[in-house]
Amino acid sequence: MNRFIIPTVSIIVGVAMIFPIYMLFIGSLRSETHVFDIQLWPTEFEFANFVEAVTSSHLLRSIMNSLIVSTSVTVIAMLFHAMSGYALARFQFPGKNVIFAWMLSTLMIPFAVIMLPLYLITKNLGMTNSFAGLIIPAIFNAYGIFLFRQFYREFPKELEEAAYIEGLSQAGTFFRIALPLSMPIIAPLTIGFFLANWNSYIWPLIITQKETMWVIQVQLANLVGGGYVTPWNIVLAAAVIAALPTFLLFFFMQRYLVEGIKMTGIK
Amino acid sequence: MTPRRSNARMIQEWVTAYSFLLPNILGLMIFVFIPILYAFYVSLHDWNALSPKVYVGFQNYVTLISDEQWWHSVTRTLLFSVVYVPLLFCLALLSALLVNGLRGKSVGVVRTMFLLPFAVTSVISAIIVMFLLDPRNGLANQLLSLVGIGKQQFLGSPTQAIFCVILTLLWINIGYNMTIFLSAIKEIPIDYFEAAHIDGATRFQSFRYITFPLLRETNTFILIVTTIASFQIFDHIIVMTKGGPMNSTEVSVLYIFKEAFQMLNMGYSSALAFVLFLIVFAFSMIQLKFFSSKD
Repeated sequence: MNRFIIPTVSIIVGVAMIFPIYMLFIGSLRSETHVFDIQLWPTEFEFANFVEAVTSSHLLRSIMNSLIVSTSVTVIAMLFHAMSGYALARFQFPGKNVIFAWMLSTLMIPFAVIMLPLYLITKNLGMTNSFAGLIIPAIFNAYGIFLFRQFYREFPKELEEAAYIEGLSQAGTFFRIALPLSMPIIAPLTIGFFLANWNSYIWPLIITQKETMWVIQVQLANLVGGGYVTPWNIVLAAAVIAALPTFLLFFFMQRYLVEGIKMTGIK
Repeated sequence: MTPRRSNARMIQEWVTAYSFLLPNILGLMIFVFIPILYAFYVSLHDWNALSPKVYVGFQNYVTLISDEQWWHSVTRTLLFSVVYVPLLFCLALLSALLVNGLRGKSVGVVRTMFLLPFAVTSVISAIIVMFLLDPRNGLANQLLSLVGIGKQQFLGSPTQAIFCVILTLLWINIGYNMTIFLSAIKEIPIDYFEAAHIDGATRFQSFRYITFPLLRETNTFILIVTTIASFQIFDHIIVMTKGGPMNSTEVSVLYIFKEAFQMLNMGYSSALAFVLFLIVFAFSMIQLKFFSSKD
């Protein structure tokens, strides 16, 4: 009997999980008067909604901003975190344990708690309404360092020792040998970092007041919570456009995403 | 294991190590560590961002004890956590057991269905739920009217709003936590289940006496991480309800945010934030203790 019950229940729950996303897509194709219709298959396809969504707000601009921010944060974070994780896993130097413990201790500081002082500091550094303000504070995160350290501790030493004996410096060994072989950790972390930064809302909201500097999440939130009322079909069309990059990433990189999630849980 | 190194080599290793660590040390210092110290410093002052800071000692901390609005935000946060955390835990675990019971290709398909909401950002998930729960014509109200139940206000109702936010967070987070549970279940040696099966154990018994006890670490991890996250809920609140209606969803972080960026009570907001930090810190210490004792 289980052979039927488990798959049936799984599919029903699974369909329930994706149903709201389906409704988002369907709603984005309907006209303003039919947006709430209950039919499961659209009888009309208002592709004009997407044109309207793009022209009625700075949607493309904010998507570009998000792409620039998420990509920069991810690339720089991967490099810095890999370097630190490697140093902590492989090098002997005074203060190593203190530095590592101190880095880990920063994980206990919730973002919500430091948002005001962080704003004041970044403002004093002249970084409001700028890419620097959106990007630089988002790079530093002890969790990435921790995961890279774990990875390099398990990483076989032989290749690096060979390179070292051949006369490559330790820095050279890292950049030429270890880093290029680190894809098993870089791939899932890249997906995780990119998604997290694409999702980021509070910090961009605080640090950017100029609409030209808004990221996509701030732009979208403004469509539903702003002073004027945007029709639902346009809001949904904008949300679909904004969701496309993450959905594409999700479908093509799902394996790495799952790897990354497992890593978080195993710790 | 490492050959004896000359002093020059040793110094070179130190220099490389410190230069590899420098960017992160500086970054974590300026953007994480100093802000928390600065938060404490500001919390000892009366400051509206325009006039100079006035040192008031622990006055802000005394004020918050008798601040009804703060207590209100604390109880709202606790209500949120008490409902959300156990629900997320149970539903994620149940989903993992369900998917674990599947065979063949359907595993991948179902897991994708569960995980897809995780790829929806918090703002977009908020928008979708607001659309489906629209008080006038939303799908939820249309379906309710089909079974003869009158229109509900959902996010517009002081009693329902917080549960709508909880539902949204469950929806986007079940798949993520299910994935963690699932990978932990897969690590349990299959022999255990086979032995139990031969001994005549039912499905429920092998869960009760094998799976659940062996998931102890994962259970604790998920419970603590989810609890800490639940204290900090913010994105969905500010998009979906802004703390309303009638302050029914005014959670801790939103109150801190409003005091800082709307009321410009920098000192008081920092005191509130610092108290939240101490609470989260306590939970993180429990987590650290638990996970350092295991290896």
